[in-house]
Amino acid sequence: MIRLENLTKHFEVPGKEPIIAANNVCMEVGKGEICIFLGPSGCGKTTALKMINKLIPKTSGKIYIDGKDTDDLDPITLRREIGYVIQQIGLFPNMTIEDNICVVPDLLKMDKKKSREKARELMDMVNLDPNIFLKRYPRELSGGQQQRIGVIRALAADPPVLLMDEPFGAIDPINRAVIQDEFLKMNAKLGKTVLFVSHDINEAIKMGDKIAIFRDGILEQCDTPDEILSNPANSFIKDFVGTDRALKRLKLIKVSEAVMPFRVAVKADDSLDKAAEKMRSRDVHLAVMVGPQGRARGYITKDEIKGEEDGMVGEYINPIPGTIHENDNLHDAVSQMYVHACDWLPVVDDDGTYKGLITQHIIASLLGETPRKRGDKIS
Amino acid sequence: MNYVIELIKQSKALSFYILLTLVFLFGVFSESSGLIKEFIDTFDDWIYLLRQNMFIVFTSGITATFLGIGSGILMSRPWFKRYSNIFAQGFNILSAVPTLAILAIIMTLTGIGFKSAFIGLVTVTILPVVRNTYQGISEVPDHMIEAARGQGMTDKQILWKVQIPNALYVISAGVRTGFALNVGTSPLITLIAADSLGEYIFTGIQLNEFNSLLIGSLSVAVMAILTDFILIKLQYLLVPKGVNPLRFT
Repeated sequence: MIRLENLTKHFEVPGKEPIIAANNVCMEVGKGEICIFLGPSGCGKTTALKMINKLIPKTSGKIYIDGKDTDDLDPITLRREIGYVIQQIGLFPNMTIEDNICVVPDLLKMDKKKSREKARELMDMVNLDPNIFLKRYPRELSGGQQQRIGVIRALAADPPVLLMDEPFGAIDPINRAVIQDEFLKMNAKLGKTVLFVSHDINEAIKMGDKIAIFRDGILEQCDTPDEILSNPANSFIKDFVGTDRALKRLKLIKVSEAVMPFRVAVKADDSLDKAAEKMRSRDVHLAVMVGPQGRARGYITKDEIKGEEDGMVGEYINPIPGTIHENDNLHDAVSQMYVHACDWLPVVDDDGTYKGLITQHIIASLLGETPRKRGDKIS
Repeated sequence: MNYVIELIKQSKALSFYILLTLVFLFGVFSESSGLIKEFIDTFDDWIYLLRQNMFIVFTSGITATFLGIGSGILMSRPWFKRYSNIFAQGFNILSAVPTLAILAIIMTLTGIGFKSAFIGLVTVTILPVVRNTYQGISEVPDHMIEAARGQGMTDKQILWKVQIPNALYVISAGVRTGFALNVGTSPLITLIAADSLGEYIFTGIQLNEFNSLLIGSLSVAVMAILTDFILIKLQYLLVPKGVNPLRFT
């Protein structure tokens, strides 16, 4: 969808060597992907972004959007086809929220009625009531609300591509998490290709399908968040993502991906023999007891029933420590385990049905797996 | 004393009666000092001079407003940027020159009469208008311009849809200052032989006629207040609601 080829930018400084803000940057972002430009300040990520909609003229190289060379398009047309969100929001205080959202549709002379309708639709998507806010002015909104408007303004003319320059950088952490979630949900529906500048590694991991890490104008690595965390290409990236990169990866993996591939479940009226046999066959030391609806009710361990011949499972049952939803990520799971001081949790689905087990051992081996798969090139 | 002030604060009716009394006393005073008689005697002159004065204030004010906003916009254009500082400084220095001196200088160039007075008043009025227009436009935050450019606005659209509307309150404040200066200077144009209410004032000074002096100065004072009142109303109506502090709730 977007392809950068040898994109280069030199800023001339009188009397000195030119500053190289982008040095032969080559990358490709597929349709519907969110790609995060990440790096320390002054690394050229914003410059790279602004060259795409020609706010900063490039020195050399090519930019293709949807296979079209952007050199052939005039900047005004190009910018109207690309959504643009900036950190300072930049709503126009003289216009109502409605007019602010419809800036680009109005520039393109689209039908006013249709664009106003679209504005209402978009406001619903970011949980702002159009009846309350459409006729207000930007100064009457809070910062978080303003940036929501900033985002949907970029979407009003339905551009295929969205450029976002640290869009959530100036919003307080709680609000930021909410807006990030809203944006992810919204883009899952809209399927825009998004280029997103950030200096926050956690934001990048959360938002990105791909992360491009820059240093001094050079694209150091462009890969999925999981690859970057598990296989940092060099020591700079390793330092940049932090020593806790394994923990950060926890947020990327869903519980359902780490759940044990089989499910050992017993019923209250099963005999101990049967339960012991079940555990032995799977070589596990505990089994979860499920109720008639398939919900986790408690558990028994191998040690407890050792030597006991008669009796039912129901007599030896322990209460379960807690449950974890299959759509949660491993970060939540580990946190739950620490809360309950245990090393395993039963996984449940929306109805509370028992789906299987997740253990610390599985998580640890899962996190350890990927680097070994590629051969350890990092010292 | 405090008790009386408190009483006035509390009672609308009382303050109204006090006001009425003051008006009545003023009426008695003006009758006894011959102010009203003088006014009735010279009423035709007064009407004529008032009309002349209003005409020159209005025409020169409007001309200066348009010229001032125009040149302010011109100064804020990118291709003019490198000279605009010099111009801005020039205007600042000019506004330090006393208005009487400006009139005198212009008289030496264009002679006496309406034309010189008109040019003089335009010069006086234009200074704050230009300064505020230029400042208002250049103070529109960069990120707002960047957002506008990023949405695909042309330079012209940025000027008309973003910069000018957002500078409008500052510009209108400049126009108000300009008009206040204009009305304040208008009596002086009598000195270069143009018709204005200044005739009452200067005659009054020269002949030691307090009544004439009072008629002239009171008329000019009322005119100044009314002009500003009208301009405040216009400012309220014309400046977009989102950037108009007068309409913030």
